[in-house]
Amino acid sequence: MFILTILSGINLEAKTGKITAIMGGSGCGKTTVLRLISGLIKANHGTVQVFGENINNLSSKQLSEFRTHMGMLFQFGALFTDMSVYENVAFTLKEHTNLPESIIKKIVAMKLNAVGLFGTQDMMPQELSGGMARRIALARATALDPYLMLYDEPFTGLDPISLNVAAMLIKKLGEAFNQTVILVTHDIYFMANGKIIAEGTPEEIKNTDNPLVCQFIKGEIKGPFQYKYESKMNYNEFIGI
Amino acid sequence: MIKENYIVKNIFIIIGKIGSPFTEFILSLGNITRLFINILGSLLYTFKKIPLIIKELYFSGVRSIIIISVSGLFVGMVLGLQGYNTLQRFGSVSMLGSLVAISLLRELGPVLTAILFASRAGSGMTAEIGLMKATEQLEAMNVMAIDPVKYVITPKFLGGIISVPLLAALFNICGIYGGYFVGVILLNMDSGTFWSQMHDSIIFHEDVFNGIIKSFIFGITVNLISVYQGFVAKPTAEGVSSATTKTVVNSALSVLALDYVLTALMF
Repeated sequence: MFILTILSGINLEAKTGKITAIMGGSGCGKTTVLRLISGLIKANHGTVQVFGENINNLSSKQLSEFRTHMGMLFQFGALFTDMSVYENVAFTLKEHTNLPESIIKKIVAMKLNAVGLFGTQDMMPQELSGGMARRIALARATALDPYLMLYDEPFTGLDPISLNVAAMLIKKLGEAFNQTVILVTHDIYFMANGKIIAEGTPEEIKNTDNPLVCQFIKGEIKGPFQYKYESKMNYNEFIGI
Repeated sequence: MIKENYIVKNIFIIIGKIGSPFTEFILSLGNITRLFINILGSLLYTFKKIPLIIKELYFSGVRSIIIISVSGLFVGMVLGLQGYNTLQRFGSVSMLGSLVAISLLRELGPVLTAILFASRAGSGMTAEIGLMKATEQLEAMNVMAIDPVKYVITPKFLGGIISVPLLAALFNICGIYGGYFVGVILLNMDSGTFWSQMHDSIIFHEDVFNGIIKSFIFGITVNLISVYQGFVAKPTAEGVSSATTKTVVNSALSVLALDYVLTALMF
């Protein structure tokens, strides 16, 4: 049986009220780390502790309870396409609280205002631009004021203005709710080939002599980091050269 | 020695290739049973979400009314025409009403409704769930501590199983009127004879009730296949398209096979 190791030797600590970053090239396992923290998948070995609880040992009821204190922003927003913006943001409030509709309306308005999109309540996700959808998703993820926020590549595909707005929002929301945010921070965990290869402040990372990190920071094609997939097939043989 | 090893290796590969469809089938059967148990466990939650069930009833039931009525009408008309020509040879044209009604109530109504439902609503259900999976909507729901089986799958399943028997009844009504139109209006058969023969030959608990049971069982089968295929679809455009095709093919085959078993048990 073919077993592929995605992550190994991961030892990562995200501090309360701080923004922690996981950086690395495509396919190195960054999203897998987020999926492990959110309990979407379970690790074969090792533990994932969130707020002192081992995620792997939680029952489905306890996991649900834990997830009400957690928010996750997906790479492309993952808005519910058959619901309006209002219904999307109000979704968790309606499902997990007994708040009256009038209060929910006010909370939704506040959340939308926080991401600069108040007034879009009646719009459908198809009517939003990529950046707007991401911000609506952010408003939805923070609807229950979570203690822990996970951001899965929130800046991908954004124009420079939207990127700055998103970065500012992540920082402001994190500070406002004293959230533990896993994304980009003073402490950077640099990953490659399923392992953390460097950690430290941006300055420390910049000055590291690790060839993989140097190559990544300088964006060089040549170096120990292989951007090509290591195929078992021989390319020249395959095309008949 | 090397040649022998090569042969042994190839034999194992061939055995594996022959066996893999069977193991996959068993695995799917296990997974679909687990999903069904999950759906049963979610019923209590979903019954509290009446608007969700009504929405699904509208999408799978109400929006299938036209295709079911038109198909029923034409099937009844064909039955009326073929039945009239055949019965005329034996001088039993008066039995046309019974023939049309029994054919529809016992077999054609439940079977054709289920197959048409799978093509119209079932494939739509699969595509919708598959796309929700591909765009991470189901995962997002999970992260928000809401089980997609409870919120998405079970309402669709419930809406579907309520719709199928009702649509089968509609199919039967339209079919009977189709037969009436051809037999009585086009071929000048006596209207009283058409209805009275039908009334005399239909046994409620045997023909009507068994037909309802059949369409209910077909409803469970088709809807379970539809939601399952969407739920396990690969999160790509190709995966969703393949899952939709599987829904229609597997539903049609399962309904036809089940129909034989149920007919053998019931009649």
